[in-house]
Amino acid sequence: MILYLFTIAILLLIAPLLLTFIKALKMRLLFKRPLPLLQGYRTFAKLMAKETIVSEEASQMTRVAPFLILSPLLVTIFFLPPAAGGAFYVSFVDAFTITGLLALSTFFLMLLGLDSASSFGGMGSSREAFISALVEPAMVLTVFSVSMMAGDLGVGQAGVNLVHHFPKEHMASYLFAAISFFILLIAENGRIPVDNPETHLELTMVHEAMILDITGVYLAIIETAASVKFVIFASLFASLFIPFGPGLSAPLALLVFVGKLFLIAAAVALIEVNTAKLRLFKVPNLLGIAIVFAFLSLITFYVLGA
Amino acid sequence: MFQFDTLSLVFVALIVLGSVPNLVYSFGYLPHIERKWHYLIHYFAFILSMLGVVTAGNALMFLLFWELMSLTSWQLILTEVKEKRTIDAARFYFFMTHFGFVFLLLFFLIVTDGDLEMGFAQMQGIAHAFAYPTLLFFFLILGFLSKAGAVPLHVWLPYAHPAAPSPVSALMSGVMLKVAIYGMFRFLFDVLYPWPLEWGVLILVIGALSSLIGVLYALSEHDIKALLANHSIENIGIILIGFGMGMIFDALGLKVLSSFAFIAALFHTFNHMSFKSLLFMGAGSVLHETHTKNIESYGGLIKSMPVTALTFLLASVSISALPPTNGFLSEWMIFQSMLGSSHIDNMSLKLAIPFAVFALALTGGLAIACFVKAYGITFLGLHHSANAKHAKEVNKRMQTGMLMMAGVVLSLMLFAPWYISHFDAALFSLGHASVYDTIFPDGFWRMHSVAIHGGVVSPLALLLALVGVTAALWYGYKALRVKERIHRTWACGYRTSARTQYSATGFAGPIRRFFNWLYRPDEHFEKETLAGHATKFDRSHYAVHVKPLFETALYTNAARLANGISYWVYRLAHFEQTRYAAMIFNLMLLVLFSFRIFAHAFSWATFALESVVMIISIKVLIIGDKK
Repeated sequence: MILYLFTIAILLLIAPLLLTFIKALKMRLLFKRPLPLLQGYRTFAKLMAKETIVSEEASQMTRVAPFLILSPLLVTIFFLPPAAGGAFYVSFVDAFTITGLLALSTFFLMLLGLDSASSFGGMGSSREAFISALVEPAMVLTVFSVSMMAGDLGVGQAGVNLVHHFPKEHMASYLFAAISFFILLIAENGRIPVDNPETHLELTMVHEAMILDITGVYLAIIETAASVKFVIFASLFASLFIPFGPGLSAPLALLVFVGKLFLIAAAVALIEVNTAKLRLFKVPNLLGIAIVFAFLSLITFYVLGA
Repeated sequence: MFQFDTLSLVFVALIVLGSVPNLVYSFGYLPHIERKWHYLIHYFAFILSMLGVVTAGNALMFLLFWELMSLTSWQLILTEVKEKRTIDAARFYFFMTHFGFVFLLLFFLIVTDGDLEMGFAQMQGIAHAFAYPTLLFFFLILGFLSKAGAVPLHVWLPYAHPAAPSPVSALMSGVMLKVAIYGMFRFLFDVLYPWPLEWGVLILVIGALSSLIGVLYALSEHDIKALLANHSIENIGIILIGFGMGMIFDALGLKVLSSFAFIAALFHTFNHMSFKSLLFMGAGSVLHETHTKNIESYGGLIKSMPVTALTFLLASVSISALPPTNGFLSEWMIFQSMLGSSHIDNMSLKLAIPFAVFALALTGGLAIACFVKAYGITFLGLHHSANAKHAKEVNKRMQTGMLMMAGVVLSLMLFAPWYISHFDAALFSLGHASVYDTIFPDGFWRMHSVAIHGGVVSPLALLLALVGVTAALWYGYKALRVKERIHRTWACGYRTSARTQYSATGFAGPIRRFFNWLYRPDEHFEKETLAGHATKFDRSHYAVHVKPLFETALYTNAARLANGISYWVYRLAHFEQTRYAAMIFNLMLLVLFSFRIFAHAFSWATFALESVVMIISIKVLIIGDKK
């Protein structure tokens, strides 16, 4: 139990660090002077000390939504597969629930975007609605396929099963599912090529457009939500598709797990540096690839058993 | 005459749960109805006739109450006739409901052998002796699905529901459609029981299509009540997906999975009743205050109508199948039953079911988008029109009605195990396996899927966790004592106004553009350019209208075909009595021959002989010589 809570604490603590790490790595790769790795924490501390400015057009939704955006994600983090063998984990929560909780968070984020009556907010919400509607089927199918290979629908249990029994015999469908899930990781977290988290240009904004009128503590909460979401996806990817390490002794296993998270962050940074952002109407093509890979994964699993 | 078995009682409970809050709401709505007696008489007759349908014990009573239900709801649509569209909608509804009634009548005439006072149990023997059970199945689904509003018999819903007064739309959409689902349960289980696999597959396909088409047209809709009506099509589709999975599993001998899928369908039936009634009541309140159904004229209503906004939010979250609401639980069960398809041995079926999973998941995603649109544009932001600006909260009775329905939604969420135990009992009484102990093996905390390695969800724990974490964050925020300043929204140096914020058309824009091949929208774009500059203009107007594909493809063309045929017959007859007589003679021949084919054995020799007789008789008597 202590290990379980400790893991959650670590995940929450390194959440801002991971996003800063992506940014710093990108800057280094582009021959810029990278920003310090502690920038995420500094921004958080600065935002916490500020006053909040609430738009006069906004309703109670702006005052409530930030909490409702963060809380499903915080709840989700308790349901992730264990990082170290022998640690407590919630075995029973299945992937649909997790998908649903993430969607709940997005739902309120989209409402928040519409609340301040600015055209940017509506633009962001509209785009987010479009993207997340197409992410949903890919997510469900991928989860379906992975749960077959892991032999359990419960996410925690699936992670443990995969550690004990790596699906060597289903390598093809496993890889397809991994590709699909990685695309979803990029799309759901609003990284390039789906969304560019660094610009504030109305042509490209999705996530940023929704939160343009949010300040102070509310902004800190929403930024935290974004980083927690990345941690959730990264650790799901690490536990389900790179299931090595939890067999080691607890401190080492945790270290390996954190290492895997940074590896995934580095992969995301590399993709961001090497691709251009897609036009909004090209994004469905990318998500279509995720859907096709998810189907392929299921079909190879059923037909070939591979 | 009447029967009160568990299935009937479950649906009686559904009707009571759906009508009591509606009744309270209705009394709040009454002062604005001019023909009060007309409304009240038909309203109560409508509720009683629905109760009659689900408790009817023989075919005659069933058909009587069914027809009464159709007629009273038709009259209720005509309560407030202010524009011609209402009359058209009512006429369309009248036609569609009787189209279904004809098939139900045919079904009952066959399975009762003409004795309409026969109980349902005796019909099974006659149905089994009948040579074409699939024909009976088609009669049944044409009859019930035209009422339930499944694709392709769904076109009347987006017309009839907006035309009716709001409490009636809530009753029609929330409760009456479910009575058709009751009919499916009752007669498929009691009369046509051992189902071939294909029937289940057909229901599954209809369900998947309905859910996708319903939500896609809902997204492009600007009339809030038509939007909700399209969502009814979607949710009937979801119920049918569960129902179809149940039939498939039963045909394959997977009894436990089959019961689970049917329970999921029943649970979603209840859930849809609760949140759809609540949404229609909310839409009714908004309509009542703003006097317009156009979603583009709302905006910012959360400030003036907090109770409506809050209950509408609850229903929106629930219909979008977001945890921990009841809508999520039933959709979760339907997903789980589809994941049980990995136990199926039939490979082609096994490969087909992921496509249904895909359809349901895409529906879920689009439903979220649609309700963000409906809620966000209606209740958030600035007022889009003067009507929205002057809106006030509705009267206490209407508020009470909405709050009571919100209570029903919450009870379905909190007491899901209790409801499920009754659905389980209903299925058990229909001769299915009881699976309550498999779903809740260790108390009400965890809900298990019955599939091997199935998922588990804990609705109460999720609810408590979410409420707890949100409350903790809230108190943390309060403890910080953050200073708050009010300032207008930053809009790049301009002032934010109602005209600069997003509209519903704009919000659905990306999705509409992506599904352009399906919508084929009718776009109107005009702008007044300044001095010939293509990019500079001072006024522009964009409107888009999506005409349902099914309506143009199936209904308009069918009407055209019928017109063509009747014109042909008219020309043949040429106002001569002998020709009319000849036609009637030929029609009778046709009926006699078809009766022989259906009622007795079929043989190609007699079929050929009869065809020749028919052709000669038509040629000689009707067409005659070329002049």
